[in-house]
Amino acid sequence: MATSMHLSKLRKWFLASPPIEMALSKLRELLIGALRQGPVPQHIAFVMDGNRRFARSHGIETVEGHNLGFEALARILEVCYKSGVKVVTIYAFSIENFKRSKFEVDALMEMARVKLSQMAQHGEILERYGAKVRVLGRLDLLRPDVLKAVNRAMDMTSNNGDRVLNICFPYTSRDEITGAIRDTVADYSQPLGSHSSSQRTPFSESHIALNIQAQHQNGKPEDITSDVGSASGSSTHADEAAAKEDQINEIYESGSAFSSSTTLDLAGHQDGHNGKKAAQNNGAESENSSFRSPETITRQTLSNYLHTRENPPLDLLIRTSGVERLSDFMLWQCHEDTELVFLDVLWPEFDLWHFIPVLLGWQRRISKSRKNPDAEGDFDGDVAEPSENDQVVESSEKVKGL
Amino acid sequence: MVSQRDRELFRDDIRARGTKLSAADRENLLKPYLPDPSELPRRPPQRRKKTIARKTPIRTFLKSQLHQLIYTLIHIFFGIAVRLVQSFHAIVDRIFAIVYYHHRTPELIRKDVKNLDRLPEHLSVILSLRKEEDALAVLMDEVAELAAWSVSAGIPVLSVYEKSGVLKSCIPTLHRVITTKLSTYYGGASQQPELQLFAPHHPVYQPHGETSFEKSNTDSLTMLLLSATDGRETFVDLTKTLTEMSQNGKLSPDDITLELVDAEISEITTQPSQGITTRATNSRPGHDAVVSVKPEPDLLLVFKPFLKLDGYPPWHIRLTEMYCTGYKTNSVTGYGEFVEYQGFLRGLWHYAGAQMRFGR
Repeated sequence: MATSMHLSKLRKWFLASPPIEMALSKLRELLIGALRQGPVPQHIAFVMDGNRRFARSHGIETVEGHNLGFEALARILEVCYKSGVKVVTIYAFSIENFKRSKFEVDALMEMARVKLSQMAQHGEILERYGAKVRVLGRLDLLRPDVLKAVNRAMDMTSNNGDRVLNICFPYTSRDEITGAIRDTVADYSQPLGSHSSSQRTPFSESHIALNIQAQHQNGKPEDITSDVGSASGSSTHADEAAAKEDQINEIYESGSAFSSSTTLDLAGHQDGHNGKKAAQNNGAESENSSFRSPETITRQTLSNYLHTRENPPLDLLIRTSGVERLSDFMLWQCHEDTELVFLDVLWPEFDLWHFIPVLLGWQRRISKSRKNPDAEGDFDGDVAEPSENDQVVESSEKVKGL
Repeated sequence: MVSQRDRELFRDDIRARGTKLSAADRENLLKPYLPDPSELPRRPPQRRKKTIARKTPIRTFLKSQLHQLIYTLIHIFFGIAVRLVQSFHAIVDRIFAIVYYHHRTPELIRKDVKNLDRLPEHLSVILSLRKEEDALAVLMDEVAELAAWSVSAGIPVLSVYEKSGVLKSCIPTLHRVITTKLSTYYGGASQQPELQLFAPHHPVYQPHGETSFEKSNTDSLTMLLLSATDGRETFVDLTKTLTEMSQNGKLSPDDITLELVDAEISEITTQPSQGITTRATNSRPGHDAVVSVKPEPDLLLVFKPFLKLDGYPPWHIRLTEMYCTGYKTNSVTGYGEFVEYQGFLRGLWHYAGAQMRFGR
């Protein structure tokens, strides 16, 4: 026992001695420089799990564990930004965490406040080197003094370079998705107004239908104009949606062939459909028709209302401490092509040496799938083959024939 | 990398809640670690670029060459290491596959999971359709095997995710395939567990010929088929409906709460649509379509080389344990067998060993 303690002390002293320290830091720089040569993920998310367990197993206070966790974060941020990662998203505090002991919650809040306000003191340095700091989540749940520090830090860094640090502060993904839905609904419920300045399509079915309707009903003229405006507006929206769907189709080619083709269909026929509806509603609820059509909502629309709307898609999600769960983090974002990595290391111990294998594995996979999309590691139907659907149909017929 | 001395200073400052050092002190502490301002690609790039380029052209060139070299070297060694690990895993897998084989005997499977502390109440699997000719037949066979293993292990709910949704289009065939598979495990129809198969927006499928004789086996399995359309697309649909309601003034955006969304989204996977259940009601009055599914899966098995959700419905996997059966690429045949009994079993063991903590 005593010898091992002496040994660890000796090791610590050895590692802390200036020449070794310098050599290590040179080595780190070299490795990071080497990593830059390959493809680098644009957006990485971290779940910083294990601070409390680290504190417990090392016999220190929980708060101390969180402090060490912050140091680990600083270390890993340095690695990320130096190697070319654009956006780092960290899960700092879940809405569920408010259920923890008041002492711990207060300590965490205090830590966030101190860090953020300290950051704000170094305006000039931040401006030169800093990343954009954004705090995502339910800011209304924060204490006023913390909120003030948060806003100050976000304001100060809002003009910084292209690196972004997203801090999910009181955050859960379900809350985020709900918020996105709510905002979309609220936005679409804003009346467009009759002066929508979109280019008019020369003739639209709905327009004709309306005219006929108007002639029959001798409806009020201003009603008609407003309806026409909205109808042409919504038809251009439909076109937009169709174009968007096309894009999405290109991206998610094979996977959602069924779904997107139906939506595309809807968007395509929507013009006439809408016209009919508008014609039906013409007399009864004319104020109602000056809305954007809900049919133009797509997956992209919802994504645009998320907190991460400005960021590239998530490439890599890393969770430490061996818990293999998302815990309500980035549920929507982890959707398509994100690689999830669960590491069996506590967050305060997390360092370049744990991070490198993950990054290398990712690089390996990406460069392989770029070179040869059909190669191993990526044969899960991601790469669309034009014949795939036919083949499926064919084989399903075969199965039915069995 | 921060030197030990500076780290101690920094920690002292933290212990004193950031009062010990002034802003200027902290800046001095930080200075040695910041890159040289001239190295940064800053806003007015016209001016800077020139100076950088002129300063150390040879050194920069050598440096980038060195980095390139090291990158290549690292990847060569990493590739070798990965191969070694993969072959090691492959050997371990073979051994497991020999030691643990189900022999199509439910009792053996039950014995294998007997000592586990907990079993998932709702198991979910991600399968993928391959590109071979008989891909669908293979996929159906995999689903049938998984169904048999799950019901033998005592897992009441199994949901199967396959991205393209091809399984949903042939539910009757799938039902037949599974029943056939179950009969190889359990024998005659009276010994077979009850099977309920449905997909979101589809009624529970029960074939015509199902007679209502007494079953000697009281186990039951509810299977849910999911596809990419049940993921984000469902949220889009929900948003559309809500928008329509809001535009008609039937709902205010503030009414949209997490609970509402949860209830709506959960309903889709827990309650089969009641629309056309006549067939089911005809065959068994009073006993049909009462399906209760726990919407959140406890365990998600990913039968893929690495962990990727691939469009899995996002809402319900918040507390789901994920397990990836991993490395199973057979370089000889091109396609490894992904769905294997030992992989299934390892997933269950892993689940039983993991400790559950709510709220992180």
